[in-house]
Amino acid sequence: MIRLESVYAGYGGGDVLQGVDLAVRPGSITCVVGPNGAGKSTVLRTISGLLRPRAGQIRLGDQHLNGRSPAAVIAAGVVQVPQQDGLFGQLTVRDNMLLGGYLIRRDKARLRRRMAELAETFPIIAERARDKAADLSGGQRRIVEFARALMTEPRLVLLDEPTLGLDPKTCQTVFETTRAIHALGATVLMVEQNVRFGLKLATDGVVMERGRVLLAEPAEELLARPDIAAMFFGSSAGAGTATGGPDAPGH
Amino acid sequence: MKAARGAVLGGMVLLVALVPLFTPDTYIHNLLILTFVVAVTASGWNIMGGLTGYVSLGHGAFIGVGGYTAGILAQRWDVSPFLVAPLGGVAAALVALLLGLATRKTRGAAFVIVSYAMLELLGQVTRNWSGVTGGSQGFLMPLPSWDIRFQNWPFYYALFALVLLSIGMTVAIRRSKLGLGLMAIRDDEDKAAGIGVRTPVYKSIAFMASAVLVGVAGAVYGYYVSTLSVGTMFDVVLSMQVVLAALVGGRGTVWGPILGAFLVVSLSELTNTTLGGADAGAIRLILFGGLLLAVVLLLPKGILPAASNLLERWRRGSAASPTGARLEDTPLPPAPARAGTTTGPSTGSTAGSTTGSTTADLLRVTDLTMRFGGVTALDTVTLAVPRGSITALIGPNGSGKTTLFNAVDGTYPVTSGSVALAGRPITRLGRVQRAHAGVGRSYQLPRLFDSLTVVENVAAATGEFRLTNLVLGAVSGAEAARATELLEFVGMGAYRQARAGDLSYGQRKLVELAQLLMLDPDVILLDEPAAGINPTLRRRLTALIRALNDSGRTFVIIEHDMHFVLSLADHAVVLARGAVLADGKPGDVSTDPAVLEAYLGEDLAVGADK
Repeated sequence: MIRLESVYAGYGGGDVLQGVDLAVRPGSITCVVGPNGAGKSTVLRTISGLLRPRAGQIRLGDQHLNGRSPAAVIAAGVVQVPQQDGLFGQLTVRDNMLLGGYLIRRDKARLRRRMAELAETFPIIAERARDKAADLSGGQRRIVEFARALMTEPRLVLLDEPTLGLDPKTCQTVFETTRAIHALGATVLMVEQNVRFGLKLATDGVVMERGRVLLAEPAEELLARPDIAAMFFGSSAGAGTATGGPDAPGH
Repeated sequence: MKAARGAVLGGMVLLVALVPLFTPDTYIHNLLILTFVVAVTASGWNIMGGLTGYVSLGHGAFIGVGGYTAGILAQRWDVSPFLVAPLGGVAAALVALLLGLATRKTRGAAFVIVSYAMLELLGQVTRNWSGVTGGSQGFLMPLPSWDIRFQNWPFYYALFALVLLSIGMTVAIRRSKLGLGLMAIRDDEDKAAGIGVRTPVYKSIAFMASAVLVGVAGAVYGYYVSTLSVGTMFDVVLSMQVVLAALVGGRGTVWGPILGAFLVVSLSELTNTTLGGADAGAIRLILFGGLLLAVVLLLPKGILPAASNLLERWRRGSAASPTGARLEDTPLPPAPARAGTTTGPSTGSTAGSTTGSTTADLLRVTDLTMRFGGVTALDTVTLAVPRGSITALIGPNGSGKTTLFNAVDGTYPVTSGSVALAGRPITRLGRVQRAHAGVGRSYQLPRLFDSLTVVENVAAATGEFRLTNLVLGAVSGAEAARATELLEFVGMGAYRQARAGDLSYGQRKLVELAQLLMLDPDVILLDEPAAGINPTLRRRLTALIRALNDSGRTFVIIEHDMHFVLSLADHAVVLARGAVLADGKPGDVSTDPAVLEAYLGEDLAVGADK
């Protein structure tokens, strides 16, 4: 689906990504984990065009993405859901959804059809269409945000720490919503510090360290490896509920 | 490299110093005199607009205040205007102090307008107070008393000396604690107050420093032009040229405003000599406007920062920046000793109480209500945080947890109710006072001073205030060592010199924690400390909080990671829809059916905003 070859990128203080090689399988949910500052979010930023790589190749299928503007990357079929609440609070849910389809704004029929399709999976966007986004609960806003990202029918959805700052109930919603995105046919590439949550959701796992990819394996195998767990997940595999996610008390 | 730079700058300074000896051409002298006036003013502007972040469009007013003050006093006392020029500087500094008072209420665009209004107002006062100022007739300065052979040399060298003084002052401020505090105010004024930077004092000093040399230069300039008039001394065009010079050269840098002054005055003169006729003024305005536009679009930081960036990139090539690696399982360094238990009048009253006080509850919130418009974010919340406890504050998104922090640290005034720290009511105190009284908090979205380095961010936190400390090096002595120690403690030692703006979310959280420990508050409010933190580091964070708790710190922790927070806490409070739902032992609270339903259960509760 997407392939990064020896990508170097940074923010002015030198390279954060120091030769990233990464391949994301079509139809996968790939989760990147690793220490803080390892370059996980930077990988997403270079793909979505928010950060220009200094060297290396980023290919989506046979298209080159390096150096493209964020709008061109969206047009190519890659959408990033921002790390923190990115809805326009004073606009209605419907208007927020329409902004998600900004690139196809001239195609009114397609916009309408897409809204209807998404409302089948995410009923809330029809039920609360006329409400201001600010009036929704945290979990509801997260659902709308995910749905909005799907307006242009992206092939690849990038999620940057989707559970950050969310309470356990809302984390459960994010879990289900990500599955729903996947079921609609999109490939998902996500970054998650809530490692157990992320790898349970994912099909493929990637471990990053020091600006490089250390290891890429099926998520289940990664979760089961005690050496990796001890090194990166903070506890041996048996320690159980290290997350506030679905396996928090009460579930 | 440093030596080469020093040699180039020294050579240029010497060259300018020797100009009157090389050429008797008064045209060149006059041009340079005007350049010096703009350079001193731009350099002064830079302390207010570049370092502190308050953009003034009325800086020319200080020229006028200095010029008229010195002129009037010289006439009254029958002395040389040079002698009373320093008093012109004092007068300008006093006016700046008054302007500084306006910043208690106005920031950003509103301040720009206030500064321009000051220029207009002072011009009007001068024009109408004709008995003293000569009004629209102008005010005649005495004629120079020195030999005609020396031409304009006294003006030239007096202003040249002022340029050098301005540069020296900017360098000194930038290196000092004062400068660090000013840059912190520029990046995030509220946050600066929250870590104990006494912002009104810092700003007052900065504003006075920003005006004082401009006032002196105004006195010399007034003597030089010989007839003071409102048009020349309170000149809006000059004020604009000053801003332009600072922006073109490089806002916030030492030499940028000086370089900008040379460019702007040269350009202005070029248009004067090459353009004649009625349109010259208009064409000049277009040129200046165009220049400003070009700078904003092409070099938003100005010429010098752009050049040094380029040089840096060329020299460094493709260096790697420090990146996150798994933490070696090294033992935790010992918790930093509690500082400031014996020093400082402001911390004395509460810091002493950590050892022997009569109240068992360190923080007590009583009947606290917060309303925003029609929304009640907190509804008569009452809770107590026992001294030495780790209290977990949990609840759904939008239940008012962060709002409670904002009420405790003084971000928002409360609608009703009270907050007390160690038995002392703090509800009426401002943020700085609360920080000094012993309240410290972190933010859900960490707030750092992005243009400063990591170690500067930590060193900016200050638990007490002394005027004499302001002249100390920004990051120096015992404090530098302590800042480094704290950064090691949170595992960010390798990033000491990295720019805070370049860090990732999790790293920013850790630096903010170190910053908080530098402030060393009695009660530490942490807003989701584990969110976005790698599990390995999360475990280390647990150990870190335990160690700090053992050494006497009290914690209140907002957190959604139940495993993390409940393993730490010895007391838990659950908020839901702005009210306390449960309060007790963590074990009891987390199995309370009401808590399960509201927080951990199935239904999506529609909370208030956030």
